[in-house]
Amino acid sequence: MSYMGQARPGLHNRRLVAGRGRFTADVERPNACWMALARTPHASARILEIDTSEAEAVPGVVKILLGEELARETRPLTASYNPERGGGKRLSFHALSVDHVHFVGQPVAAVVATDRHAAHLACERIVVDYEQEPVVTDAVEALEPDAPVVIPEWEDNLVYRTEYNQGDVAAGLAEASGTVSGSFKTQRYLSSPIEPRSYLADFDPYEEMLTVWSSTQMPHPARGTLSRCLGLPETSIRVVQGDVGGGFGTKSPGSSEEILVAYLSHQLQRPVRWVEERQEYFLSCGHARETLFEFDAGFTDDGRLLALDIRVTGDVGSPTGLAWVQSYVTAYCLPCAYKVPNCRVRLHSVATNKCGWAGYRGFGKETATQAMDRILDRVADATGIDRLEVRLRNFIPPDEFPYSQVSGAMLDSGDYPTAMRRLAEMVDRDAFRAEQEAARQEGRHLGLGFAFELTPEGCSMPHNPVLQGYDGATVRVGPSGRVTVLTGVTSPGSGNETGIAQIVADALGVRFDDVRVIQGDTDTCPYGLGNFSSRSLMIGGSAALEAANELRDKLFRVAGNALEVAEEDLVSEDGEIRVKGSPDRSIPIRKVASMIYTNAFGREALEVEPGLESTRYFRVGNVYHQPETQGRFSAYPTWPYMACAAVVEVDPTTGLVKVVRYYGVHDCGTVINPMLVEGNLHGGIAQGLGGALYEDLVYDENGQLLTTTFMDYTLPTAVEMPAEVITEHQVTPTEATPLGTKGAGESGIAGPISAIASAIEDAFPDLDLELMEMPLQPERVWQAIQAAQNQGAEDPGAQGAARPGASAR
Amino acid sequence: MTSKVALRVTVNGSKYEREVPSRQLLADFLREDLGLTGTQLGCEQGVCGSCTVMLDGDSVRSCLLLAAQVDGAEIVTVEGLAQEDGALHPIQRAFWEHHGLQCGFCTPGMMITALDLIAKLPLAEGSPELDQKIREGIAGNLCRCTGYQNIVAAVRAAAAKMSGQAEAEAGSTDSRESAP
Repeated sequence: MSYMGQARPGLHNRRLVAGRGRFTADVERPNACWMALARTPHASARILEIDTSEAEAVPGVVKILLGEELARETRPLTASYNPERGGGKRLSFHALSVDHVHFVGQPVAAVVATDRHAAHLACERIVVDYEQEPVVTDAVEALEPDAPVVIPEWEDNLVYRTEYNQGDVAAGLAEASGTVSGSFKTQRYLSSPIEPRSYLADFDPYEEMLTVWSSTQMPHPARGTLSRCLGLPETSIRVVQGDVGGGFGTKSPGSSEEILVAYLSHQLQRPVRWVEERQEYFLSCGHARETLFEFDAGFTDDGRLLALDIRVTGDVGSPTGLAWVQSYVTAYCLPCAYKVPNCRVRLHSVATNKCGWAGYRGFGKETATQAMDRILDRVADATGIDRLEVRLRNFIPPDEFPYSQVSGAMLDSGDYPTAMRRLAEMVDRDAFRAEQEAARQEGRHLGLGFAFELTPEGCSMPHNPVLQGYDGATVRVGPSGRVTVLTGVTSPGSGNETGIAQIVADALGVRFDDVRVIQGDTDTCPYGLGNFSSRSLMIGGSAALEAANELRDKLFRVAGNALEVAEEDLVSEDGEIRVKGSPDRSIPIRKVASMIYTNAFGREALEVEPGLESTRYFRVGNVYHQPETQGRFSAYPTWPYMACAAVVEVDPTTGLVKVVRYYGVHDCGTVINPMLVEGNLHGGIAQGLGGALYEDLVYDENGQLLTTTFMDYTLPTAVEMPAEVITEHQVTPTEATPLGTKGAGESGIAGPISAIASAIEDAFPDLDLELMEMPLQPERVWQAIQAAQNQGAEDPGAQGAARPGASAR
Repeated sequence: MTSKVALRVTVNGSKYEREVPSRQLLADFLREDLGLTGTQLGCEQGVCGSCTVMLDGDSVRSCLLLAAQVDGAEIVTVEGLAQEDGALHPIQRAFWEHHGLQCGFCTPGMMITALDLIAKLPLAEGSPELDQKIREGIAGNLCRCTGYQNIVAAVRAAAAKMSGQAEAEAGSTDSRESAP
């Protein structure tokens, strides 16, 4: 029996439903103090003076830390992929500002007190004298020569720029029989795990050991960051990951609060904790996504892209956000799943006086997908070719993998047309058109839209302490035959520990229930990079597989001696090692383990090294860091994808959109646990749906964030999700991992944005709707319908010509 | 600076008599004073629902109540759902088996809300509005991981199981579940 391929609920489910989760905020330490942060209310200002005298008088206050001390005593945080490396600005900052603030919510002082309320009260009594400075909140304006500069030491706001070229884009556009030009803008939003971030640090001066309990996705890189910033050796720091209540990329190392808690505990020699408040999360944890695409696309009469010139402007906010690199990834992925002979991609990553970026599921890939989907819909409309068909005509053909995309990205494998055609069958367009027509008779507007998301996974960047495409695992078979797996990868709730247990159980031939997986402790687990880029199962699972295979060989050797047969003649299953073809000749694995542990000098075990433990590191395939042409490198080993369709109903009198059904044909290579993959997809689709219709971080022109609660930044609830989310799998195994597994954790999030936009347009076949700005909240949809209706009434002959931002010739 | 209030409350069947600060939240009382950390705080703004507990048979948000307000009341938290021998409540088993959770942070509040819903709404099995009623009933609880589909399935399964159990109990059959 194989455990791989079986649907199994998460290994931690039982404990979690019992209310026995161990989230970081649940960890108790005696005598722990609370940290609270004083945050600036200004989007850009000089700090003239900070008066802490009233705050110090609050009973219970233990220490007030200002930026000056922190800058003196610690090293600054830096981005793991620093734009400086590619000729951009150097990103380096301290957790507390010293003399200048550049976004609302930036911390200026930390208070430690014996209880949470005293810490907050003292924060309110810190008086900061600011001199306000001009603010820039728009990335395009921020690039203008006279724009206010976000960082006073900088000459301009351009954090990073790059350009990728293939063929001759100008010639391609000139040759094309038609072109479309326009823009697509995706809004600023954020990952919103329901567990706020939380850190608890406890320094033991006698052990010289700083233990940090952290709601982190990456314990070892977090330890490395703490070590660098605090100047403590890594052996004096232990990072323990609690249960993580959702990460989605946000709970990455390098957060100001993590450094502050660790520094203060080390200084005060007592436990210090911080639990994020939801408003702080909105203001300062880190945003993502806000990107403007401006494009010119040239195509043939039959809808094939001949040329694409696309300019990407990422509004990365304050450069204290270390995940600016998501804008780089967006440019890196273009033009995604499509073969475009002449293509130019230009990227500008721009600083503004808004919160910086933190990682968010999709990590920039989703916006690239969305832009391509919207462009292809415009090409379809301009040529009159069906929207699904236009994708089929432009896909990279299955026989051209591995395929080198414009940026140098090496797409490993796939069969996009088959996925798209299967989606068309599932959707049954003829039946939908009949349903749509019947609804129209009742005055209801139904629409069907398509998307094709490409979500490369397993990121590895050169010279990067965090983004590396390898990981480690230890597999241990104990004297009783029970198995412990320790991994360098971690789970923020996604369930990779369960998949890894399935892989190890199969490799050793033991019962699933006899495998225990331990993750997230730098003192016990092998060095690893943790959880990001859907890497945990495909990279961590592969390391565990190799370690388990090594132990199985050793077990077989000893079993072969015991059964007096050659190792090649053995198989293992269900806790037994058996002779092939002779089911009566077998030995339990626990007996073989016992021979190794309790009879090391016996006949059976004498020729093997004592012990049953293996640590292996796995380096994923299909990553190239030796620069090829244009100094490009290939960062992503596997390229999962999903063909998506949405059916929506739109109320034209209010602009309200309801997603009725959602379909997906997904390919993440070999599936280890379909229940967990499906669960991930559902969650990804929900987040994408939120981004399509509801979620939006709104700043006013002064740089004040207006959306700081879940009341005004609205996540989808069970009611907003369609009753039917129907997904299927296509399996195109990758050669980059031994089992053919690709990443699955980020899939689902990109498709809804474009599929829903496309479906809303389809709901009004008589109108020239072009929804090129997100999110599609009722007001925006209503206005677009009104504008299209008015335009149709005024100028019925010139459809499209008056539309802002896009035109066809 | 903070005055104290006397509080008598029953939590998960145990009686407590405590002096609590008058401004202490019920959530903080449960988590910090009683060590019942299964109840989670996701926003402290009354929106996410993670802190939902049962107060005299109604689901309430423990971040929007002061501890002092529950004097004399009976509270049930997630820790009070399983039987004393550790056997899980049907709602817990259903969430586990249907994978109605991923990170598990919103799960305690979600299950308490679901129990309130099951107790108050006639959710007849096979009724076409069943799923929609479940969705509406849990719409005050945010989950960022699951997309809700498996949660709806778990609540549906638990409702069926519990109505079956109620019938079985009415027929005086022992329906106690064995531990897995």
